[in-house]
Amino acid sequence: MSGDTDFRKEVRDFILEEFLPGENPDELTDDLPLISGGILDSIATLKMVLHFEERYGIVLEAHEADKEHLDTIRDIAALLASKRG
Amino acid sequence: MGTSAAIGLSDQGVGDARQAGRIGLVDYVVILAQLGLVLLLLRQFQIESAAFLRLATLAFGGFAISAWLPLRLRLPFFVLLSLAGIVVVLGAENAAWLVAIGLGLIAICHLPVAFVWRAALLLAVVGVLALQRAGYLAAPWSEAVWPILGAMFMFRLIVYFYDLRHEKAPASPTQSLAYFFMLPNACFPLFPVVDYKTFRRNYFDDDAYRIYQVGIEWMVRGVIHLILYRVVYYYLTLAPHEVTDPAQLGQYLVSNFLLYLRVSGLFHLIIGMLCLFGFRLPETHNRFLLASSFTDFWRRINIYWKDFMQKVFYYPAVFRLRKLGTEKALVIATLYVFIMTWFLHAYQWFWLRGTMLLVVQDILFWTILGLLVVANSLYEMKRGRTRRLGAPARGWRDTGVLILKTYATFWFICILWSFWTSESLESWFGLWRALGGSYSLEILVYPGLVLAVIAIGSLPGDSLRNVRASAVSDRVWQRSRAMTVASLVALIGISVEGVHSRMGQEVGTFVHSLRSGHLSRLDTAKLERGYYEGLLSVDRFNSQLWEVYMNKPKNWLDVDNANVKQFVGGFAQTELIPSFVQSTRYGTLSINRFGMRDRDYDLLPAAGTFRAAVLGASSVMGWGVADGETFEALVEDRLNSEWAGGEFARFELLNMGVAGHQPTQQMVVVERAFEFQPDAIFYVATGREISRATDYLAEVIGQRIDIPYEGLRSIVERAGLAPGTERSLARARLEPHARDVLAYVYGYIAGEARRRGVVPVWIFLPQVREGAWQEETPETIQIARDAGFVIINLEDLYGDQPIDAVRLAPWDDHPNAAGHRLIAERLFDELSQHRGTIFRSARQ
Repeated sequence: MSGDTDFRKEVRDFILEEFLPGENPDELTDDLPLISGGILDSIATLKMVLHFEERYGIVLEAHEADKEHLDTIRDIAALLASKRG
Repeated sequence: MGTSAAIGLSDQGVGDARQAGRIGLVDYVVILAQLGLVLLLLRQFQIESAAFLRLATLAFGGFAISAWLPLRLRLPFFVLLSLAGIVVVLGAENAAWLVAIGLGLIAICHLPVAFVWRAALLLAVVGVLALQRAGYLAAPWSEAVWPILGAMFMFRLIVYFYDLRHEKAPASPTQSLAYFFMLPNACFPLFPVVDYKTFRRNYFDDDAYRIYQVGIEWMVRGVIHLILYRVVYYYLTLAPHEVTDPAQLGQYLVSNFLLYLRVSGLFHLIIGMLCLFGFRLPETHNRFLLASSFTDFWRRINIYWKDFMQKVFYYPAVFRLRKLGTEKALVIATLYVFIMTWFLHAYQWFWLRGTMLLVVQDILFWTILGLLVVANSLYEMKRGRTRRLGAPARGWRDTGVLILKTYATFWFICILWSFWTSESLESWFGLWRALGGSYSLEILVYPGLVLAVIAIGSLPGDSLRNVRASAVSDRVWQRSRAMTVASLVALIGISVEGVHSRMGQEVGTFVHSLRSGHLSRLDTAKLERGYYEGLLSVDRFNSQLWEVYMNKPKNWLDVDNANVKQFVGGFAQTELIPSFVQSTRYGTLSINRFGMRDRDYDLLPAAGTFRAAVLGASSVMGWGVADGETFEALVEDRLNSEWAGGEFARFELLNMGVAGHQPTQQMVVVERAFEFQPDAIFYVATGREISRATDYLAEVIGQRIDIPYEGLRSIVERAGLAPGTERSLARARLEPHARDVLAYVYGYIAGEARRRGVVPVWIFLPQVREGAWQEETPETIQIARDAGFVIINLEDLYGDQPIDAVRLAPWDDHPNAAGHRLIAERLFDELSQHRGTIFRSARQ
């Protein structure tokens, strides 16, 4: 997986399955605020970080677990892409 | 950009808005008109202080200019405005000190050395400042600088340094200055911990007009919170000893928690004001009364604090510990966060007050809440929690379960909160004795009201928050704007005297009381006690009383209550130290050889002398005025200059006032007064005599002090109290007998005087304080009259005088020299009217 679009799909699928089961996927847009919008709390963020660290063999830093890097699907995908190099 | 152009901004559109930050002329006028209304609202309800009104005027005026400046000039303009705000609130000299210290701290963060060295230097400088704050080192700036300096730097410096460590894009000096000195901070020692990254990242990241409009909405919401707070603070709060049945217990628990509305109101006002300058900051609170679990409560109340703790403590800990396994890491990191929250609370108190706050309730509160959040987090980790993208489609059953969970959480938090805010563990445990009180239908009032509010609040609504206003649909946006304007107009309308006075006397009085910020009857009583007991904890937070104390300089008057008194044992416990002399900032304070704050007298009066002993507390003693400036000394001088040589050759008024003495202690003082063979006793009462007499009786019971008065012993027996009964319990049990306590005290003093042929005169001296302190006055006057005193009521003494003209300071509600002169003039007139009744020799 290398494209930003693939990461976005992966992140969206994970969030829908793990945190928003039964919700309409169309409403989960790439720019919807997830942390400031109350969907990703600290526990959910931790779960998601651990999942992607394991999935891609990457390491995220504590200071990256914030709104700048994880607030939207677009932000998360960009972070994952940058970590994968 | 006009409204229509801003709706549904695409990513590109957001970028355009950020670059432009522009607003159409019509929208600009609409915003300005609303700001005018907000200013009127702030003025009508006297929100916070006069300084805040000046600051708001400056901010709104600044907005009028800022909105038309090119974007690149707006941040520098905001910095200038912020610095001007500091000058407006603190004055030029204090502002200069504050900015200089602040610049020094910021400069250290940017020194071209390794981070570890910067951190070490920062700690060293902060250490020196801490020594100055604690009074171990002298500081050349005023005490007023500390709370604001603390509010600006104590947490933001941590966030800033953390971000600097990890930030890739360097911050500009203007951004740093804007962040630390941000405009509304000069007025608010309690300030939300704004995140530096968010502060920079969200700057004009949406349509400017909508950012401004959201700011106005939040300010209006803040004012509504503050008005609701006043309703609770003035009308619903109870003292622990007033809680005698389950209905009152419910009222106590709910009102105590709702006092938090002050914090949520102020935070809305602050963040709303920042929105006017393009800082699209997220909400500070999210309907915290509707939390349905402990983790939910932690996430909803003071969100900025939660985010700060998460960023600086939680994530670094949990990421470091993740090798231990997710659950273990989560438990340890969460407990760490709560320990740090407790510590930082004490740290905050230190910078604001200058003393360390180590209170067992504080430690236990954070421990219990931390453990509850851990348990709740583990549950959520395993079972998950429901999240929604829009309005949830809940069935009746789910809604019912949610309401029940919210209801249970609310009451649990209320109980925990009452524990946190209690003055002592004994006082808190004493509350629960109310469950043994009488049960009536009133017990349903608060549980019913809370249930109704929670049920209404739990109706499904949009669950997404903090989305850009430009992404909100037109219909929702217009409705929200209309609600804001309607609220503004309604609140301003009802605040007009001509309107609320026509709604009946009760409604008119109620609205009128909400229009000014003053201390509640309970806090006024605490303030009175503060002088007498050297109250250490005051209210630890969320109290206007706390702010009054916060502004009080250390070593105020250069002498404190404890310095001028000595412990003598017995029922009165204390007296003034004979032959004590001290220079204070208001002149010399001298105590004569007999322990009176007065000139020297012979033990017995010379022939032809009229002598009166003046009994009272600090106002009689002349707290905060120099020798010879007390009303007692002034009246004595005037009697001698105008009346001496007539019926009496000379007049002597012996000042037997002792700071902190309560009515009950005056029974001992009057015995002492009789040794000086007075012709009259002037007993000076200053309000809340019933409560204060009873408070003292509870104190002596708690301390196992012998009560040498049969009448008081009989009351104690009727109340079922034994020596050593814990004070708060004794106070609660004495409450039904409070009137009898004062009636006995007054009866004793007046009776003993009459028995010796001495005229007992009861003088009512009004307090120089705002707020409620008069509630016991009519009953007290009646008790004094029934006891046989000659009554002199100076209730209307100060008339329309502004309180600041006759008061020592906002934190010291004693009459100043001008106040004493007014009292003396009026008292002399009253004595003239009662000349025939009072001025008779007891020795004829």
